[in-house]
Amino acid sequence: MMKHIIIKNGMMNKTLLMIGMVCALHSPISSAVTGGMSLEENDRLRNAYPVPTGAMLGDNCSACHGTKGAEFNEAMPPLAGMKKAHFIKLMKTYRENAFTSIVMHDVAVVFSDVEIEAMANFFVQQKAEQWTQPNWNPSLKESQP
Amino acid sequence: MKKITRRELIKQLGASALASGLMGASNQAFAKNSAHIVIVGGGVGGAAAAKYMRLLNADVRITLIEPNPEYIFCPGSNEVVIGLDTLESLTVNYHTIKSRYAVTVIQDRATEIDYANKTLKLAHGDIIRYDKLIVSPGPDFKYDAVEGYSKSLAERDFPAAWHAGPQTNTLRDQISALPQGGTVLITSPVDPYRCPPAPYERASFIANKLKLTNPSAKIIILDSKDDFVFHDVYLDFWKKQHGMGTENARVEWISKKNGGHVTQIDTKRRTLTTANGEVHKGHVINIIPPEMAGSFTRMNGLTEGDWAPFNSLDFSTKRDKDVYIIGDSAAADPMPKTGYIASNQAKVVTKAIQSELTGQQIGTPFITNNCVAMASENWGMTVAETFRYAGNNRPYEERYTLSDPTSNPYQQSIRAEVAKNWQRTFRKDIFS
Repeated sequence: MMKHIIIKNGMMNKTLLMIGMVCALHSPISSAVTGGMSLEENDRLRNAYPVPTGAMLGDNCSACHGTKGAEFNEAMPPLAGMKKAHFIKLMKTYRENAFTSIVMHDVAVVFSDVEIEAMANFFVQQKAEQWTQPNWNPSLKESQP
Repeated sequence: MKKITRRELIKQLGASALASGLMGASNQAFAKNSAHIVIVGGGVGGAAAAKYMRLLNADVRITLIEPNPEYIFCPGSNEVVIGLDTLESLTVNYHTIKSRYAVTVIQDRATEIDYANKTLKLAHGDIIRYDKLIVSPGPDFKYDAVEGYSKSLAERDFPAAWHAGPQTNTLRDQISALPQGGTVLITSPVDPYRCPPAPYERASFIANKLKLTNPSAKIIILDSKDDFVFHDVYLDFWKKQHGMGTENARVEWISKKNGGHVTQIDTKRRTLTTANGEVHKGHVINIIPPEMAGSFTRMNGLTEGDWAPFNSLDFSTKRDKDVYIIGDSAAADPMPKTGYIASNQAKVVTKAIQSELTGQQIGTPFITNNCVAMASENWGMTVAETFRYAGNNRPYEERYTLSDPTSNPYQQSIRAEVAKNWQRTFRKDIFS
């Protein structure tokens, strides 16, 4: 992990320089250390393979936002049942770093419009109820001891 | 899929399986002759695989093999070392996995895979037939990397305390009993190992406690590396909070190139010797040994070198397409060995299995590690790490952004709150 050369913001290439400038404008209390593949390489890989499904992308959010985005008790907001347009607008705003946050800019920066929409479709289909209801799957409940 | 009758399966599993709830939970599945997904290891990777497999498919039979009746989360165990939390609060059982997700949990140790017959042997002699086998056994320690060290020493006076458990409490008690002005030695291993920032989080937590109770005490980190994740944040913290760089530094970090790599322990003199011959004496000695894939993985021919290689598309092993490897034992570089990663690997595997069972093409995998660490209760840090698929025979490509040092106390504090929040939600995501 992280064996690549660490690139301080705005020092190594034009893209990172631009990110550095955006950070400087919008997030004066935060600077970050970025490494690994460039955003161009991220784009290239994104285009080289079929778009991951909304579930594939969205299930990555569960450690912070709960299973299926349905954790309602914590500081990180639930995503389950979030209106599609709202989710898309938020993620794109994070991606542009126009909304200062602790980690969401760094999380969102790698996603394409299509991927953001796929996640929005996934989360809008989830029930806006705390995970999990004991009867989350009625057919299973019948077969339980 | 192989057809297995109920009677055959009972015969294969033995009476112990009946007692653990097999009959009730899987009645419906038996009727449909559905696939049998067997999981070796009930840690974060294995438990996530069981739960997320069930979320995708109500009919498959799922069996989890785990020797322990309970699981203790590692995230949060550094807090236990300084008395901010207890092992009890980090401990979960398999009740919810069994009842809510209709998973058969067998308390036994898996020993041997018969690849030709697609069966798995357990220590007590039972043989289980599988259609898909997900292997998630966690890592083993290379105790002998430090001459004179051993598993039995770790279990007595020289704890590794690297898997949360009794050794965590031993280390806690030793820190509490440290004489005034005493020295704590912590060794940090070569990469890769479980939870890369944790040795430095541990050293920081111990220093914070000693600052209050034993301010002239010292913590020396003897490192087998020249760099580590969040290096800049921890150095900043140690300078600002523990006088690093001054005569009275409470924390000292000795990198490999400065002679930090420990090669030997003398338990009678309570000393560690480094590669360049320096000798360090410690009242408390915490050796965090280097790691390798769990013995189940190695005994069953799944490893090349220390870790188990896999096909990037679905984490199926190079050895057998119906046997998958996830978690710390996988040769997943550049992915770090974290529970976060193990759980997301589990989600990729279960989706791939579900695609195969339903005759669909396996989708493009995608994995993140948006993880956290702390230096104190009010000083946190985060990493946002993305892993993109780059071809079935190639490693994933990584992009990461790490917290930088900040002098803004609100930012330090809110990152720590994010870290605590993450621990709570993560435990629920895996076990409830």
